[in-house]
Parts: sequence; structure tokens; C-alpha cells
Amino acid sequence: MPTRQRPYIVEILTALALIAAPFVLPHLGFAPTTINRILIWGLVGIGFDLLFGFTGLLSFGQAAFFGTGGMFAAYLLTQTPFSNTIAAAFVGMIVAGIIGYLIGLLALRRTGIYFAMITVAIAEVFFFVEFNPLSAYTGGENGLPGVPPPNLNLGFTTLTFDSNWEMYGFFAFWYFVGLVIALRIVRSPVGLLLRAIRDNPLRAQALGHNIHSYKLTVFIVAAMYSGFAGSLLAMLQGFMPPDAFMFATSGEIVMQTAIGGAGWLFGPLLGATVWLFLADFFQTTLNLGATWKLVLGIVFVLLVVFLRHGLVGAIVDVYHLVRPRKSATAPTVDAGPRPSLAAARTSPPASELRRKRTTGSTGPILEVTGLTKRYGGLVANSDIDFRVDHGEIRGIIGPNGAGKSTFFKMLTCEVIPTAGKIVFDGRDITTLGVADACQLGLTKSYQINQLFDRLTVRQNLAIAALGEIRGKFKLDLLKGVSKVAGLDAQIESTAALVHLGERLETPVSDLAYGEKRRLEIGLALATSPSLLLLDEPLAGMSPQERVETVALLKSIAHGRTMIVIDHDIDSLFELVERITVLQEGRVLVEGTPEEIRTNAEVQEAYLGGIHDEAGAA
Amino acid sequence: MSQSKFTKGKAPVLSRRRVLHAGMGIAGATLIPGLGGIGAVHAQDKPAMGTWPAGSQGSSVAIAAMVPLTGTYAVQGADELKGWELAVEHINTNHPLMKTLAPKINNGVLGKKVVLKHADSAAKPNQALQAAQTFINQDKVILMTGSTSSAVAVAMNKFAQREKILYMPGISGSNDTTGKDCVRYSFRQGFYGEMAANAIGPVMVKQFGKNRKAAFMTPDYTYGHTTTKSVMDYLTKEGGWTVVTNQVSPLGTQDFSQYLTNIANSGAEFLINVNWGRDAVLSSQQAKQFGLLPKMTLVLPYQIPFMAKEAGPEITAGVLAATDFWWTLEDKYPLAKQFVEAFQKKYGYRPEWGAENAYVSFAHWARMVTEAGSFYPPDVIKQWEKGETIPSLLGDVHYRPQDHQAVRPVILVRGKAKKDMKNPEDFWEVIDIVPGDKVIQPPGEFGCKLGDYT
Amino acid sequence: MFSWGNFISQCFNGLVLGALLALISSGLTIIYGTLGVLNLAHGAMFMLGGYAGWVAYTQTGSFIVAIMAGALFVMLVGVVTERLIIRHFYARPAEDQLLVTFGLGIVFVETVRFFFGSLSKTVPPPALLSGITPLGFMVYPTYRLALLGIVTVALLVLYFILYRTRIGMIVRAGIEDAVMVDSLGINIQKVFMLVFGIGAMAAGFAGIVNAPVVAIAPDVGDAILVQTFVVVVIGGVGSFGGAVLGGLIAGQIISLTSMIDPAYSYVMLFVAMTLVLVLRPYGLLGTAGRE
Repeated sequence: MPTRQRPYIVEILTALALIAAPFVLPHLGFAPTTINRILIWGLVGIGFDLLFGFTGLLSFGQAAFFGTGGMFAAYLLTQTPFSNTIAAAFVGMIVAGIIGYLIGLLALRRTGIYFAMITVAIAEVFFFVEFNPLSAYTGGENGLPGVPPPNLNLGFTTLTFDSNWEMYGFFAFWYFVGLVIALRIVRSPVGLLLRAIRDNPLRAQALGHNIHSYKLTVFIVAAMYSGFAGSLLAMLQGFMPPDAFMFATSGEIVMQTAIGGAGWLFGPLLGATVWLFLADFFQTTLNLGATWKLVLGIVFVLLVVFLRHGLVGAIVDVYHLVRPRKSATAPTVDAGPRPSLAAARTSPPASELRRKRTTGSTGPILEVTGLTKRYGGLVANSDIDFRVDHGEIRGIIGPNGAGKSTFFKMLTCEVIPTAGKIVFDGRDITTLGVADACQLGLTKSYQINQLFDRLTVRQNLAIAALGEIRGKFKLDLLKGVSKVAGLDAQIESTAALVHLGERLETPVSDLAYGEKRRLEIGLALATSPSLLLLDEPLAGMSPQERVETVALLKSIAHGRTMIVIDHDIDSLFELVERITVLQEGRVLVEGTPEEIRTNAEVQEAYLGGIHDEAGAA
Repeated sequence: MSQSKFTKGKAPVLSRRRVLHAGMGIAGATLIPGLGGIGAVHAQDKPAMGTWPAGSQGSSVAIAAMVPLTGTYAVQGADELKGWELAVEHINTNHPLMKTLAPKINNGVLGKKVVLKHADSAAKPNQALQAAQTFINQDKVILMTGSTSSAVAVAMNKFAQREKILYMPGISGSNDTTGKDCVRYSFRQGFYGEMAANAIGPVMVKQFGKNRKAAFMTPDYTYGHTTTKSVMDYLTKEGGWTVVTNQVSPLGTQDFSQYLTNIANSGAEFLINVNWGRDAVLSSQQAKQFGLLPKMTLVLPYQIPFMAKEAGPEITAGVLAATDFWWTLEDKYPLAKQFVEAFQKKYGYRPEWGAENAYVSFAHWARMVTEAGSFYPPDVIKQWEKGETIPSLLGDVHYRPQDHQAVRPVILVRGKAKKDMKNPEDFWEVIDIVPGDKVIQPPGEFGCKLGDYT
Repeated sequence: MFSWGNFISQCFNGLVLGALLALISSGLTIIYGTLGVLNLAHGAMFMLGGYAGWVAYTQTGSFIVAIMAGALFVMLVGVVTERLIIRHFYARPAEDQLLVTFGLGIVFVETVRFFFGSLSKTVPPPALLSGITPLGFMVYPTYRLALLGIVTVALLVLYFILYRTRIGMIVRAGIEDAVMVDSLGINIQKVFMLVFGIGAMAAGFAGIVNAPVVAIAPDVGDAILVQTFVVVVIGGVGSFGGAVLGGLIAGQIISLTSMIDPAYSYVMLFVAMTLVLVLRPYGLLGTAGRE
């Protein structure tokens, strides 16, 4: 991963490796065309890695773009007077991008395994269409022979790259350009959001990001990489093969990436190197004939079983074994005593943290009427009327199954109500999406931590803050994330507020439970909400942690509107001004803590039960 | 090149010719290969090109065969590969048969042993090309071969022309291979769609009469399209036949029931199956399941090696087919007999036409190289383009300089019923041997433009 | 060109193909629904069934033995694969599961190629079922008619197992909530192993009963796998009924398009899948629960 200290180390190392390759690899038994082929697969792999390694979308349909881009360029170069190979490759890339957009619209309706199956199926359509209805243009089974080698028109003269090593220079240049662009994407806010989508798409959305558009973006980018590489393949071979469209091509891309290691950009290049070397070696040196595929298949299965993160992952693991990761050891060494109340007092006042503007500053900020949610025959919430004023801190209690969480989900637009209306800051948000609600200034911290586990605290907070700074969707693909104005200030003040200022560079997976809980709240805070919902912020905490968290919430509450659900009645009573009691999906009663405490109905229906439960927890 | 001097160790290629011309004994000749590595002399007018001269500077020269060992044509590919292997072995050991076909070989060609490299092409152009590129890089091959799918042959043609390395397709039935996609660097020994159509057409019209109705099954690529067109043209023009349906299926189709149902309801009397390899086996077997056979008469314009063995004589009995070679021709041609015996001795079964075509192709290449006395590709091509009459397993043949196609006989066979088979491989009866010049189209009719020598 | 005879014949073709796809797809969908693993080696399992049956047939000459051998061998392969490999992947990301099953598929196919070569093998239908049956309006291969019956029975048996037995109840509960089943104290490990075996067996059974129709070859399962995906997407992932419905629909689309132009039959199949995705993203009978 690119580090902050040495920003261009990956670029420089890659450039050196590309320069050294022609002098080193032939001695290891690599043929020049094999090396060129590796570069082409590596280029496809960069795009695929952005899609799979960074965004978590496993597509088995990259062949469609690889083939389309290559076929388009090959058609231009063989069937029309067009002779500029670079321009043809760019045309192929753009066409692949357009196709990627159309397929993305369809395939990205679903995720996970469904997404994988749909990409397989769509790629097959392309195969059949290329083969039959379009065979007049694509040559069908014959493919398109006669593609010229790459050339470069300088105006006064045209350079032609026809020998193997000339072509190597040409391909290596484009591989390097592709890698540099991909690295910039990875280091951009979009790149960070892609990783957020990979780790926790729902939370990324809840933090105000239009994840569908980001997924579509990376899908198109991956398609463009494939399309461009497809064009290069046609030039390398002088022939555009119909095989490029086949499922096997997609499979090879996936396998090479898995072998090399996903999430590093150059993993696919390494995977392709191993793959093509072994294929050559088994076939031409060991003369295994048709058995080569069996051996490679077994090798692949073993790799997947034992090397979970591919070769690059294995190298990194070995490196960490030799030199233990600093950040991993940090908490036990430098973190010192757990942050205490004293620390909380020294933290900056919460008013420093930004807060989204609301149209008014008095009267109701949230008004709910007749809110009802039914799941099939089951009624979760029924006819709830609810109102919160600016600056108020409201508590919600109720026994398990009272419908508290469903109620929250409707407020944050995660769930669309069956009936009723939600008005936030004078605006009807009943059918709005969760990302839009967050953009308006309404967000929630979750009962069960919804963090981005593979990222650091800083990155987590950045993801949250970016939603507020950049809006729902912005295509700043090439802008460094550290160059986003106001981001670091927002991250640091939020971190200080939730006492994670010392832990910014720690991966979330290394945090203690209490720290994760505070980060959970920090994520919601970093979006600068004007209305903050907290779903059981004290869940699972020790008594000491509860005291600290209540103090934290109090400091946050300054000038902010909050609604808190919790089972810890005592803490809640200390924190909030008014309490709403839900029971069986309805509002039972509403009043000040004192009123609720003395309300007979509440005592009978609710308080009796909860103490047992609290005891059990 | 200096042809006059016999300088030991300096120009082994040429000295070899003189040795042979001088009629020196084997003892003298066998000394030469050891001198081979020292380097060939090439004059200013023969600049380096492709793998020349690098490929012929060692003690051996390499040939690359890209052959389908997996996929639809795997069975035929494996047979072809044996043909090439046997040819190489015979070239390197002065086998009498090879010596007849290419008299100037002497335990190799021009003092070099021949080495055969092969890789699986799966009958896919892409895989074939990749393998070819690897062989060019690693082994500096001076001849490429293998196709078994004309899609591969056409792609390899263009590739050979670009790389300036000789290529001989293996089995390739498309008219385009030496037609519109022909190249200077490629020569085809075997027969193809148009020759097959012109050979089998008259027999069909004579045997079945005029104005009949035929259904075609065609694989969806250059071989299928051109062969179907050739046969269709002959039957409709010369016989007044009607084509009631042409079912085009992709290469590698497994289930033909949809296509066959359309044929079943088309009113066809004849099923002309242009499918090949496993596609032909499956489609014919399924045609039988659907009752199309024996209701309709099956015709195979481009015979498929091992189809009779795989599908069984219950399907191929009575079937008319055109082919390149059938082993019973050994009764008529002594060279064929030598070949069948040598092949059967080594591999335990009688060769089909894929192996025959492979063997003869290499023999012809060896002949051209040794006659030209040079590995320099334009020299070899020009030798070939002299169009001399040369022997094959089935009598004399020649290559046309205009399109590099061998003018060679087409064999018509009819499937035997199981009861008539004299041994387990006695599937076909030869009914006619049609001379090549009777069935080949005029050169240039299919738009062949050969391209440059350099 | 259009004739009613052809139309009805093609409908029949579609029905036979559809029933077969339904059976294979239901195997895939049961495994996925219960274990959450999409088995990319399912096509290879189909192929293995054919080969195991073929070996049994050449040894015994009995078609019944061949069917049993095909089904049981693949079930065994499924159980062993689950025990040795798949089991360790339940806790790993879905992507790893896809990768390992994809790799296993290649290993199965290439192993078979290693031992039996690329030559296609045929298992003839039993004498009783070979030949042609006149149906009045058309003639139809007897075995294909029988195949329709055989596959229907197999689907009914599968239905019975899933809906009328204790193991089926657990499987269906597992589809709903694996954690809950676990907490009920049922040995979920054994159930998973059995489910993988049953799902694989469905593919293996289909592989051998289809062998008399389409000769078997190592790569016979590849195309089937992709079609199975389409069926499952159309019907709804994890839904047994969806797999059956999807299979039947897919069969008819392929056959009826073939009547006009076979080149477009698969294109139309994917067009149908696209339509379903747009109109009912979770498939015809699927629910939003599983992803």
C-alpha cells in the first residue's frame, strides 16, 4: 500500500521493474511475447483489481469488455482505412466503457454471488452476439486477422513497434500509465470510498454516499482497462481472437488476480507472470500436453486454500513475520492508560465540530405522523406520532420487540414506512434514501458496530467526513484524499472528541471494544449531523465505560439534537430531557425522566422486565 | 552464397549438397551434422527475416505443431500429431518411404536433425497463436503447422506472413485457406470444400437423381460456410436440388435437438452434414435418435477421421463421403502401403487422413528445403512455386504457384455395414479416386492474393 | 417456414431440456440456499455423473446400474469435497468460495480428460427405451420421452426429501437461518455435508440420464453451468420452485427461438434473464433475504 511518507515509491519501483524486466526475465526462461502478454493481462488486472480487490465486486464477465474493446480496435484497423493504432485502442477503450456503463446498470442491481452470476451470463450474451449476429463484423469463429503492430504517428514520421522488444516498450509504457492512474484513483476520495463499499456497503451509504454511482464508476473504469488491454492484445498477436469473449478469459483474469493477490494493483501482473510461465513451462518444457491444465488447476486450488491473499499477500505476511507491523504493536506500547474522564475534559468542546445548517433553530426539527411499518402480517410499528424540537435530547425506551430499531430505521430512511409521514427540518423525507437523509443532516450510530474493519481509524472518519464535504457523489478520481480541504481538521476534531486522537493510524481490527463503540459514534458525528440518532450507544459496555460514554454524549449534545435508544435506563435518565416509551410498536407514554420513572403504566409494562434482562446482559 | 567452394566447417549446408552429389558414402555424410553449429553463411542479398538465419544455425531445426488435444477436434488432432511425429522420425532416419518422397534428405534436412515441438491449440486460433509465438521465441522454429480448424489456419496464415515463417495447415477444409485468405508463406497439401463438392456432387446427382431436397448442417465458421456453399452451389446448379434448410450451429455444440427438429419438419430427403469432429459425431448420433436416419440419407462432404469408429457403422453404413485418404488405398498405392504399415507398427492402429495429410505435408516441406538447398524462406517458397510434379502417397501431385494449393486426388468412400467389415477398422469402401485437376477451381477464382516474399 | 408440427416438436424439446435444467439447477440452488456457497464446479459434477455412469455401464452393461453409479459416485464426490475443502470456506468471503469451486471444476474436468481422453463416450439407452415413438402428430425419440419421465420423478423425489422429511425440514430451515438451526442443537455440519452431497447428486444424476442423449466429453458441463446460472437467476436464488420454473421457461425459450433461428436461442435466453432482473430483481420466486 502506498504510504504517506513515500508517496511515489510504488510508481518508482514499478518503473524500475519494467525497465529491468527485459534484462532479467529472459534469463529465467521467459519468452519476449510471454512478457508482453503478461503486461496485457496485468493491465486488465489493474482494472479488475480496482473492481474486485478494492470494491469487493467479483465479476466473472470481464471478457465482454476485453473482447469488445479489442474487436472494435481490430475492426477499425483491419476493415477501415483507420491506421492510428493508439487512437484505435482509445476508441476500443471508450466503447468498452460505454458497454460497461450499460452492463453495470443491470448487474449492479445486485451484489455478491448474484452479481457474479449476472456478469457471467451477460458476458455469455456478448459471446453469442459476437459469434453469430455480428459475425459479419467480428469474423465470428475466425476472429479478425491482419491487425498491424502498434505505431505512433509523430506528424513528421511514424514509429512502428514491430519487434518483440519494441512492442515491450510500447506495452510497458501503457501498463505504467495504467498503474499510475489506478494508484491515483486508489489514493483519491473515490478510492477510499470504494474500500468503504467493500468493507461495509450499508454503512458507506448511511454516511451519505451514493454507493451505486461509485460502484458503477469503478465498473466502467475496470471495463475501460479491459477494453484498452484487448486492443493491445490484437496488436500483439496481429489477430483479434474470438476467444477473448469466452468465459475462460474471464476465469483467467479472476484466477490470475487471485494467485497474485487482490488489493495491490500489481497482484494481477504477478499472477499473470506465474500463470503464463507455468503454462509455458508445463507445455513446452515438460511436454505435459493436455495435462498442463490439470496441473495448473491443482496449483490454483492449493493456492486458494492455503494462500488466502495470493502471492503478494504471502510476501507481505512473511515481511510482517520478520518485521512486526508497528501499528499492530502500538496499542499495548504507546496507548498508555485508557482515556479517562480527565482526558474528556481536556478534549476540545464539541461546538468546534461542524454541524449542518438547518432552516430554523427553534420549534420542531423532526415531526412524525401516523408512522406504520408492517412486514407481511407482522406489525413492527403502528401509527406513531412523534416530535423532537431543536436542541432537544430525547430518549426512547421499550422492551425488546417494541419496535425501537425499526422506528429508527424508518427515521434514517433505511426502511420505507408502510404508512405515515416523516418531516425533517421542514422537508418530507419519508421516501428518501438513507444517503440523502444523511446529506440533509440526519444520521445514526448503530447498535451493532458498523465500521470499516480493514481500514484505519483515520480512514474510517474520513469516509464519514467526506460525505459531508463532497456530497453524495463526486468524480474526483485523481485528487489525493489528503488534499481535500477541511478533511483533516474534521477528522482530527472528531477523533479528539471521541478520544481516539492517539489512535488515528490504527486499523479498526486492532481496536478494543470500547474504542470501536466510540468510533461508531465518531462516524456518525463526523458527518456533522444536525440530528443524531444513537441506537443503544452503551450496549455491551462495562460500568466504567458507560460512565465515560455518557460524559462523552453529554459533551457532544452541546447545541445538537439527539435521540437515544438504550436499555440502560439510569444512564439514559441522566442524559436526556424527555423520554418516549414504545411498547408493541406504539407510543405508550412520553414525558420527563421523572414522569416516566413514576408512571405506573410504564413500571408495570416495562420496567419490571428490563431489570432481569439487564442482569442477564 | 558461394556455391563453388567446399570449405569444411564454413558452409556446411552447401558442402552437404556437394557431398551428396559426389555420391560419397554414409560415413562421410554423418560427419557433417557435427559441423552444423558453426554458422551459416548468408550474403548481403538475404537479410535476416523471421527466424532466419537464427533458426537454422544450430545442429537441429525445429518445427512447431499447434494441434488440438482438447475440445471438439481433439481426437483428430491427436491423430495428426502422430503423422507429424512419424514424418519427423522418418526424415531423421532416412526411412525408405520418406526417401522416396524427399530423396535428398539425409538423416535430417541440409545436415540438421528435425525436432518437432507441439502444443495444444484446442482448435482455437488464439491458443494456437500464443503457442506459435512461444515456439518462435524459444525454439526459433522454421516451420509451423497445425490447424484442424480453418479458423486457426486462416489466423496462422496471416501470422506466418507477418512473421515470415513458413506454415503448412494440417487439416483445413475452408476454401479461404488457399482462397481469399491465402498468403505467400503458406502451402496446403490437403483437399478442401470446393474440391470435395466437385468430387462428391456428380456422384450424388448420378446416384440419387435430380431435383431432390436436401437439408444442410453447417458449423459456424469459415470451413463450414465455404464448404456448404460449394456443395450447395454444385447440387442446385448441376442437379437442380433444393436446399430446404441450412442449420448453422456453433463449433462445440452438444445438443443438436433443436436443429434436428427443424430438419425433421423441413421435408428434406438428404441430410448433408458439414459438421466436423465431435460435432459431426454428436449431430449424426442425435439425428438417428430423432429418426432422421435412416429416413433421410446422410452425406458427409468432408469426411471426419474416427467418426465411423466413434459413431459406429450403424450410422455410417451406406453414407457417402469425400476424403483425403483411406487406408485400404494401400492395395493400389505401394507408398500408401508403406505408410500404413509403418504407422500401424508404431501406433497400433491404421492412420486416418489427418495423419496422412500431416505426414505428406512434412515430406513435401523436406523435399522443397532439400531441393532448394537453403532454409532461407524465399528460396524454399520459390522452389515450391516451380510447381514440379512430386510424389505423394496417392501418386503424383503438384502445388499451384498461384495459390499454393496442392492439386491432389479426392477419394470418394461409402460406409460399410458392420457385416461387411473385414476388420475392426474396415469402415469405408473406396468407390472412386477423382483426380485433383478435375475438381479444383481455376486459380484466382476465390480471390487469392499471395503477398510479398519479404 | 412455420409449421405446427415443428412448433409442437420444439415445445417437446424445450420440455425435455427444461426438465433437465430444472434438475441440475435445483441441485445448485439447494446447495446455495443452505450453505451459501455457489458451486462453480456444479457443471463438472454433471460431467462426472456421466463418466461414472459410463464406466459402470461398460463394466456391467446395465443402464440401471449406470444411473445408480453416476448418482452415487457424484454424491460421494460431493460429500468428500465438502468435508475436505468446502467446509473450510464457510467462514471465508464469498469470493474465496467462488474461486475454490471454480478451481475444483477445472481439476475435475482435467482429471477426467487425463484418464479418459477427449474422445466422447456414449451410453446407449436401454433397449426398451431406444427407437422412436410415433405420437400421431410427430415422431419422437423414445428415450427423450422417457427422460422427461425420469427427470420428473427425480424432481418429485427431491421435492419429497425437501418438503416431507426431517432432513428436508432442517435444510429449509437452514435456508432461512443457519444460526437458528445451529442453536436448535442440530448437527449442522452433518446436514451441510449431506446437502452438498444431495445437490451434487442431482447434477450427477442428470449427467448420466442425459448421456444417451448427448455423448459425454470432459467439457460437457461447461455450457450447462452457465445455463444453470441463468435458470437460477430467473427462478430466484435458493428457491426450489424457482429452479423448476426457471428451468422450464429456459427450455422453452431456447427451443422456440431455435425454430426461427437457432443462432439467437441463447441470446434470447439472456434477454429473458435481463427482463426478469429489471422487473423482479430477486427472480420469479425468489425473496430478498439471501444475497
